[in-house]
Amino acid sequence: MAFTPFDFNEAIAQRRDHALEGLRHGSPVVGLSLDAGLVLLTVRRTQRKIYEIYDRLIYSAIGNQSDIEAVRLGAVDLAAREGFERSPDDVTAQRLVGFSLSPALKEVFRDQWRAPSVIRAIFGELGPKPEDDVFFVLNYDGEFSQHAGAAAIAGTHEAEERMLNHLRKFMDRLGATPPGVGSDALLTSALAEALRAWAVGLIALREQPDREEDEAAEDPALVVAALKEELATGRVEAGILDRATKREAKFAMVAPGVLARATDLAMNAEDA
Amino acid sequence: MADADLRTLIAGAGPIVAMPQPSVPPADLQRSLNTLVHGTTVIAVKYDGGVLNVGDRRATANYSVMYDRAEKVLPIDDYTLLAISGSYARAMEVVRYLRHSFRYFERSQLQPMSLDGKLAELAKVVAASLPAALQGIGGFIPVFSAYDRVSHEGRIFFYDAMGARFESTDYAAAGSGSYQIRGVFNYIVKTRGPFHEMSRSEALREALLMLDIAADLDAATGGWSKVLPLAKTISAEGIEDVAEDELAAVTAEISALER
Repeated sequence: MAFTPFDFNEAIAQRRDHALEGLRHGSPVVGLSLDAGLVLLTVRRTQRKIYEIYDRLIYSAIGNQSDIEAVRLGAVDLAAREGFERSPDDVTAQRLVGFSLSPALKEVFRDQWRAPSVIRAIFGELGPKPEDDVFFVLNYDGEFSQHAGAAAIAGTHEAEERMLNHLRKFMDRLGATPPGVGSDALLTSALAEALRAWAVGLIALREQPDREEDEAAEDPALVVAALKEELATGRVEAGILDRATKREAKFAMVAPGVLARATDLAMNAEDA
Repeated sequence: MADADLRTLIAGAGPIVAMPQPSVPPADLQRSLNTLVHGTTVIAVKYDGGVLNVGDRRATANYSVMYDRAEKVLPIDDYTLLAISGSYARAMEVVRYLRHSFRYFERSQLQPMSLDGKLAELAKVVAASLPAALQGIGGFIPVFSAYDRVSHEGRIFFYDAMGARFESTDYAAAGSGSYQIRGVFNYIVKTRGPFHEMSRSEALREALLMLDIAADLDAATGGWSKVLPLAKTISAEGIEDVAEDELAAVTAEISALER
């Protein structure tokens, strides 16, 4: 079979379309780095979406369920082996994503005889202090990017950008929080803001690509309406790598009570 | 050609968390290696909220005290404590292995390893140490304490050198000093009632009293004249250190008994 550069470009474009089509309907995931710890939040339907990879690594992804699971298990395997043979201190998101996950995904994406992976993943790594926290966003083709403070994954670039904008505004306000506000209250309000950012992403995903409605997605009334509609069938899920815990495991799912308070807060439009 | 699946492509083939087996050295080297054996006393007793573990801090090699701040009561996960006796090197490696093995199971399988699964895993590594134990090197005997999240109670298991496990209703001890205090356990239970009905502070006092007796009667068990012993509890809330202030107060009270 003759294989020309044109065939190659064509094949890559088709695989890209295939992956993007699969990602478009994924429920976005929001990542925030806070004093209390590093948080990932999403709204799920049937499957659990937020997972622990290692002592200081948290993971979530959108896309094909079996690809999400294969990347999760590969990352868990690799982190466990490295942490056992060397030290837990040597297991970092940068090494995991840059040297193992990205090359593997790229190989699968370029291989004409395999189905391309349909996945966009987010990894969060907890540091000793919030400024040491780091997020990695990993794409189906092996591309990855590094973020600090906040990160988001969604089915389109546009949706991600709007979510990040929303989160950045919140982080600026958070920086100006007067001292004395309890860490529980801060965590609840941060989760509420993450949930609103999630809804901003969802609204952007629903829009037609040619419509120019940048500001509309931020409209608090629209955000609340979208949340009401989605939470009728889905439910909020959040995982945290707790910076202050004395427990052996830093990872924990955020308790339902805390999530319920955060959801109430997110629905309170006046404060949006 | 069968393609590697994505998981294998990422992590490669081969074992993930595998316990290296000790090699037994040739007979002519064994005499010098006997210096690697360590004596100790570790004690696990139940109390009304869970299990309390105490251990001395001395690490010995033959007649030498190698280290007086050894930690022999070690958390494996939030509901499991291991108190170790015997070869310190082997025991530390086993602790490292179990920590990774239990967590790897939970992370990959998305459910915690069952208590029975954890006990079986420990039995395997104890049994694997037997050849080294028979040569007088590398053997170790653990006491396993757990908070059972199904039956909501503390549980204690002890092992023999071949890996057989026994559940204890109330207490267990291991190490060179444990033989000297076996009868004391019986005496306490028969005069003061079972440990699992005691309060935490009562159980702490009795356990430290036994550690003191072990230190009096066993050369390889350290006393607390310089360094306080180690004590940890395991309950529904997880693992907690007994604070130094409390340890200092109870040990001072026990030391005063003989003055």
